[in-house]
Amino acid sequence: MDPMTFILITQLVHGLAYGMLLFLVAAGLSLIFGMMDILNLSHAYFFMLAAYIGYTIAGMTNFWVALLLAPLVVVALGMVIERFMLRKIHPFGHIPELVLTIGIGLIIMEFCKAVWGTQSLMLQTPEILSGLLNIGVFRYPLYRAFIIFFAVAMMILMGILFYKTRFGTIVRAATADADMVNALGINVPLVYTVFFGFGTWLAGLAGVVVAPFLSVFPGLADQVGFDAFVVVVMGGLGSMSGAFVGAILIGLLNSFGIQFLPTAAPLLTFGLMALVLSIKPTGLFGVRQ
Amino acid sequence: MIAKKSAPSWKQWVFPCLVGVILLAYPWVLGTVYTNIFIYFAIFSVFAASLNMLVSYLGVLSFGHALFYGGGAYATALFLDHIEGLGLFTVILIGGAAGAALGLIVSPLLNRVKATAFALLTLALGQLAYMACLKLRFITYGEDGVGGFPIPDLTLPGIASINMMTAENFYYLAVVVLSLCLLLMWFLTKTPFGSIMIGIRDNPDRVDFLGFNLPMTKAIVFVISGFFAGIAGAVYALFQNLVTPDGAFHIMTSFTPIMMLFVGGIGTFAGPIVGSGVMTIIEELATRYTTQIALFNGILLVLVVMYFRTGFVGLYLLIREKLFQKESS
Repeated sequence: MDPMTFILITQLVHGLAYGMLLFLVAAGLSLIFGMMDILNLSHAYFFMLAAYIGYTIAGMTNFWVALLLAPLVVVALGMVIERFMLRKIHPFGHIPELVLTIGIGLIIMEFCKAVWGTQSLMLQTPEILSGLLNIGVFRYPLYRAFIIFFAVAMMILMGILFYKTRFGTIVRAATADADMVNALGINVPLVYTVFFGFGTWLAGLAGVVVAPFLSVFPGLADQVGFDAFVVVVMGGLGSMSGAFVGAILIGLLNSFGIQFLPTAAPLLTFGLMALVLSIKPTGLFGVRQ
Repeated sequence: MIAKKSAPSWKQWVFPCLVGVILLAYPWVLGTVYTNIFIYFAIFSVFAASLNMLVSYLGVLSFGHALFYGGGAYATALFLDHIEGLGLFTVILIGGAAGAALGLIVSPLLNRVKATAFALLTLALGQLAYMACLKLRFITYGEDGVGGFPIPDLTLPGIASINMMTAENFYYLAVVVLSLCLLLMWFLTKTPFGSIMIGIRDNPDRVDFLGFNLPMTKAIVFVISGFFAGIAGAVYALFQNLVTPDGAFHIMTSFTPIMMLFVGGIGTFAGPIVGSGVMTIIEELATRYTTQIALFNGILLVLVVMYFRTGFVGLYLLIREKLFQKESS
């Protein structure tokens, strides 16, 4: 295989892996906005918190226990915040919500710095996934393939949850008309809390999965968080397919951009976001603003 | 409450005169360190007040106000760095003009969105500016920033030339320039144009029906807000004699005035000034005991948004109402 093709394929798979990770983060963000009309600016900080907690749990036990437990910790936190904070200020419009979530983000950020320090922490890749994947002449780190596989599995799980279960039906109905669902005798506020927890869970999973891939450092939330915002905005707030397409696009743009246009890559991301927002404020697949 | 029209006129002058005397005496009483803190407070009051024009009077939240502030700071720094012999007020106005120009450039984009999308678009534009500032090394010198540029003296033709490198002299300049900005903004909110702004916040459709040009009005507000943020940035650049991407365009530079605004109280003119004062004091006290100022800021922000959305100004109004209720009724 000639080197150029090799570089292209490597960057392609790398971009896909990063894109799928972004999808997990962005999906939670987008779903929460679509259903509850809350743009959770602290979403990326939940993601980072899960990465740190996962690092600690993995240090005590192993990666799989961390993948199971760490997201649950942030889910509990997310549900408490939704129940006791966001719900109270929801009647006052979107500006207090945005500001509140910034405040929560700042607190989580400083908490992480205080507990784990500011240095970069590398979580060991679990042994089973640490090898190289051999596809003919092409070799690729197994862990990145695992990320893609994991995100696709989560996507299928989400699909089943939304379209094949009673909870999914309620969620979709509440997104369309919350008052009507409430009138039918379903506890919509409770559904909101559980659903907020679910979105946070996705971010938490992504956080633990990212730890061996990008390492854990205080700038992680900003780095991945901004990309996730770009994804959500481009795909359209509230749209699942939009989040998917956006995530793959930004993932590829990131990996090819860094390879071929190292100076302009970060500019491209935000330029694209500004462009989409100004031409079609609802995003590529979005319906509501 | 019935306003007493027949109040003795000298009483109206007591408060402004007191403020004037305090401002004059401040650097001589409290020394250089506190003078610098006060300059920082004054810069951020104007910056937060310019953001307040969007939040309290137009009803939209900007997450990228650092775009205008940093634009003003960089314009001033780069002009001083490359061109010799510019006057002090010229460079400050250049900073304001840069902010206003940026406001004009982004206004067609900002006019297309509202609510959450507005916040996100400003976030994207702010980050775009930050990234551009980091990457366009041949203009902005990347992470190093622009520093060590000459600070022009304040020359009054034929009278005097005042060196601006000392803290006290710069303090007076900053106080005069920034007070002037605040006064101008205050007068603006009292004009018919200010009423249209409030109308847009409360009911944009109605303002539209009344025949006002909605996009044009909003664009003018963006330009004015950008102008004052740019002036705040220009004074900041002169004050620090160094502008870096992190100081000028970083996301925290956009978040700081938002925090100040909410701590002070949105919907009021005094809010951003009070908030800036409170946050500066808290930051000053917190740095003595801890390095994690952002933690304090975050907790304060959450508490303010959760429990008193009217901020410190609202708290003051509430206390005044409770204490003087009987007299006024």
